[in-house]
Parts: sequence; C-alpha cells; structure tokens
Amino acid sequence: MSINTRLLGLGNDILGDDGFGILAAREAGRVLSPSGVEVVTSCLSGLHLLDALLDCSRLIVVDTIVTGRAEPGTIYVLREEDLPGARAACPHGVGLFDALALARKLGLDAPGEVTIIAVEAADCLTVGGEMHAAVRSAIPKAVDLILETAAVQTLPA
Amino acid sequence: MATSMETPVRRRITIDPVTRLEGHGKIDIFLDEQGAVERAYFQVPELRGFEKFAQGRPVEDMPQITSRICGVCPTAHHMAATKAVDAVYQVMPAPAGRKIRELVYSTFMAEDHALHFYFLGGPDFIVGPTAPAAERNVLGVIAKVGVEVGKQVIAMRRRLRELTALAGGKAVHPVLGLPGGVAKPLTEENRKQFQTVAADAVEFAKFTLSAFEKIVLGNGEYVDLIKSDAFTHRTHYMGMVDEKNRVNFYDGEMRVVTPEGSELDRFPASRYLDVIAEHTEPWSYMKFTFLKKLGWKGFAEGAESGVYSVAPMARLNVADGFATPLAQAAYEQYIATLGKPVHHTLANHWARVIELLYAAERMKELADDPEITSPKIRNIPTATPREGVGVVEAPRGTLIHHYATDERGIVTKANLIVATQNNAARIAMSVDKAAKGLISGKVVSEGLLNMVEMAFRAYDPCLGCATHSLPGSMPLYVRVRDRQGETVSTLQRDADGTVTRS
Repeated sequence: MSINTRLLGLGNDILGDDGFGILAAREAGRVLSPSGVEVVTSCLSGLHLLDALLDCSRLIVVDTIVTGRAEPGTIYVLREEDLPGARAACPHGVGLFDALALARKLGLDAPGEVTIIAVEAADCLTVGGEMHAAVRSAIPKAVDLILETAAVQTLPA
Repeated sequence: MATSMETPVRRRITIDPVTRLEGHGKIDIFLDEQGAVERAYFQVPELRGFEKFAQGRPVEDMPQITSRICGVCPTAHHMAATKAVDAVYQVMPAPAGRKIRELVYSTFMAEDHALHFYFLGGPDFIVGPTAPAAERNVLGVIAKVGVEVGKQVIAMRRRLRELTALAGGKAVHPVLGLPGGVAKPLTEENRKQFQTVAADAVEFAKFTLSAFEKIVLGNGEYVDLIKSDAFTHRTHYMGMVDEKNRVNFYDGEMRVVTPEGSELDRFPASRYLDVIAEHTEPWSYMKFTFLKKLGWKGFAEGAESGVYSVAPMARLNVADGFATPLAQAAYEQYIATLGKPVHHTLANHWARVIELLYAAERMKELADDPEITSPKIRNIPTATPREGVGVVEAPRGTLIHHYATDERGIVTKANLIVATQNNAARIAMSVDKAAKGLISGKVVSEGLLNMVEMAFRAYDPCLGCATHSLPGSMPLYVRVRDRQGETVSTLQRDADGTVTRS
C-alpha cells in the first residue's frame, strides 16, 4: 500500500511569529515536493481546516504554540496523544485535534499518523509584526525535523 | 444597572506586563469583603498594528490582505474591504457583479453558520449545558445527532466551500472582489451548480431548524436556561437592514434599536463615526464601542446606556423580518416564543439557525436570477480615489472597513471595527453576570470556566483567536483578587489543555 504523506504548514505570514509554520513548510517543501510529499499551507483554523487534513495517510503539521512554559523558539515534536487536554471546550471550541477526531468518528479518510512540529511563539497578534529572532532562527531546526519525520514515515512499514 | 466599580478600587487594577500570558483570554474577578464577586472583567487577545500595516499599500490590495487576518471568516473581510474600495473609488458595482458578490457571501454565511451551530454551539445545546465537560465537544455532538447527520453537515460544508472556490477563485482567500464589481462572470454551468447546492442547502437548513426545535425547544430546561436572568441583558442592538427593514448580510443601511425595540438610528455605513465611538478601560487593551448619542455610561443595561450588541440575535432585533418565506416563518415563531426585542444572549444560537435558512434561500434566489450570468460584471472606476467605508454583516456581527488614500490610491489611514469590538461591552457584562452567579469564596472552580465560556461562546468572540497557534483554542487565565487588589487564587488553562491552580 502506498503511503501518502502530507506536510501542512499552519499560520499567517502577516502576523509576526505566526508565519513560522508557513515559512518552515515552504522551506521543507523544496526538498519534499520533488519526492512526492504534498505540501499545503493554510491560515484557517479549527474545522475550517478539515479539507487540509483529509485524504492522506500520514500528516506532518508545522505550527506555532504558546505554552508559556518555554523560551520563544523552543521546538516541540508532538503526537496527538501528547496534547490530551487540547480537546477541552473553549471559545471557537474546535481546534485541529477536534477536526481530526471528528473526521475519524465520521469515517472520513483521516490520517492514521499525525506528527506535530511546533515552535514556542512570542507574538502572533501584531499585523505586519517582525518575527521574534529566536523563532526565526528555529526554522532550520524545524525543517530538519520535518525532513527526518518525512523520511522515517516514507520507509516501508 | 451602572457599574459598581468604585474609582479607588479601579486604581488598584493593573495589567501585569506578563508576556507569557500574552495571547490568553483573561478574567479578573474582584471580591468584596464577604468574598462575593464585586466585578469580573474579561478580555480576549486582540490583533494590533493593522493601521500601520495598511499604510503605504495600494487600497485595492486590502481585500486580499485583510482576508488573511482571520482564520475563521476570510470572506467577510474580503467583502467589507471590497465594498470600502468601491467607496474609495466612488464606483457602484455593476448589477451582475453585485449579485455574484452577494451569492458568494450568502454561501459563506451558510457554511459558517452551519459549522457554528453544530460544532461550536452544539456542545452547549445539542450535548447539553449541564453535561460533563468531557462530553461537551464535537464528539459529544456526534454521539447525540448520529454519524449520518454528522456526515451530512460535513458534506454540506464541503459543497458550500467548493462553490465559494468556484466563484471566488480561491477557496480560502477569495480573489473575487474588485472595485466596481468582480473578477469573473458566473457561467451557466456555475449557475446550475449553485442552484443544485442551494436547493440542498435549503433542505439542510430546514432539517437543522427542526433539530433545534426538537432538541432545544422541546426541552423545558434549555428554554428556561435561554430565558434565565444570568444570560439576559437589556441593551441596544445594531445590524444591517434592506430598504424594508429586513435582515441583509451584504448591503443596506445600519439600524440601531433601543432595548424597547424602537428605532434609535438608521444610517449609511459612511456615517459610522457619527454614531459609534470607542471607549477604553484601564484594564483592557480592547476598545469598547458605544453609541455616541447616549454616551459611555459604564457596563450598563437599559435605554440610557450606550452599550449595544451585534450578531444574529441583534440582527433579528433590528429587523422587521426576512425577505425569504421560510426564514420569515421561522422568525415569526422565534418572536412569538421569545418576544421582541430578544435580550437572551443564548438566543443567538436559535437566531443563527434562522439566518442559515435565510442564507440558503437567498443563495437560491440569486442563483435563479437571470441577470447573474450577465458578462457585465464590472464598472471600471474613473474617479480619483479618496476615502471610503465598507460594511457587511459577518457571521458574528457588523464588520466595518474604512480606508483613506492619496490621489494614487495608496492607503494613508485605515480602521477596522470587527464584530467582537461591537460586542465587547456586552460580553464583559455577560462574563460579570456569570461570575457573580457562580462564585462565592475565593476558589475558582473549573465549573466557572464552563459557565463563563458558555456566556461568551454565544457571541463567539473572534479577534486574536484568528491566529493559528496550536491547538486552535484560546488559553484562559482567571485571577481572583480581594478588596485590596491582592491576588488570592488563580486558575490557568494553557494552549495544551493543562490546568494549573495557585
């Protein structure tokens, strides 16, 4: 069975650090696209992301995260199960994980394996804001992690 | 009721420049000597820097740029900016161009309202306001409505989204609107696709309304909750109406009604600065809009206060009805049940379903319109650009874009008023009321979070949430302070779902 891997860069390149996911995905895409990995970027959120999650067997997401417990630029590699509390009810109530859970519950073609590469962001709220130096410097590391993850994933099971 | 916050106490409130909490929704709760809530404050993270960012850019780029600032309603920003650019160039859109815009906009409204009703409002209403927190999520909704209905919702959303892409050029960030019209005509084939989906969307909306009636209206406890004092505020309302005072999402004049339902004002969007002004509070970066005519009199209800609100319930309050038959019938039932104006915040969920039906019916009307496939889609602007305001009713309420340019069309000034700003004062009042109803003593329970979230989820506040930071949820920080302003306890829920108390 062929393995269909997609790299999904999330964020918004006009909102300071929020551009991280887009830039890292574009960068990694230069290597991955020729090898058949689909590269998608989106600034949508929640269930509006659903289309970007479906019809692939493995998904690598690159995005920002604000945990408040690490320095900006810190990189995390996470699996869905690492963020168990993320499904708590909240305003706009529905995030990436809910969209994935919903897709599976409805029997849609959702990825069986999801890896999230996230960077701790400092400011994602300033329109036209500069990216924090430490966040920008973390792009090459995130790209390496994306390539590593994609390489591992494309090995035969 | 005027705010009870006294000046000396207010002076003690400081916004801690704690960068690690930047991006959190914040609730500050002040207790009196007996440990009861004196006042609760709420703020959501807010985008900043827009005006500076816009300056120096060609105004015709604003519809594309602004559609990127929101991860939830790009089409609303696109349309408001497009209308503002029409005004800057003093050009009326060609009739077919105008109709294509409204068709695409109605499609977007139907998609967003459907998603909101089932998956954002659903945890509170379909699953139930008293259900355990662990069940109040999208999976809980599916458990209640069934996998088949869930699949229908998702399929409907996808078809609506595909139509937006078909006519808008790009699904996520529409490139449709140009000054004086749209970028491409609608072909006969496109029209047929819209007609087919619109007919199905009407059926889907009817089904949704009947589901609402069965699940919510059929349950006395839910109806009591909707009508309960904890979720009721008697404020002014604002929204857009057509020439016959019927709800319109895309075009018309703004209308303001009093808490008694009589017209206070009716004005074209270009006059918005004469009607609304912004108030700032020392505890928030957020600007609270209010009605200039009445002035800012604190977070107060009633006919004397300048506090007003927007969004579905407000739109139904300012209108005399709907231009389409099924939505009109549903509106009449809504008014018969809740009276008019409706002051119950949670009625937004019901009003949203009625608007879903209207959006679907309006799609069908426009798709059937013989003129919509006309090739004359644009009037080319000839005037020297100057200044213009554009307004649409976004899913969450009135959205205003305002640009001034030099004679080359380069932006010199820009201003946005988004739905959540129009609702900010009332949201703050709702949170205060929820906190007062729930808290006594110095410990914040997670039940408070749920209750407070329910109070503001009906408005679906939408500012900094536009950003994407994982997992797409708003982290929340609650701080309880005593009469002296000392922090007595805190509760923090981070983006990764971790809850910390101190």
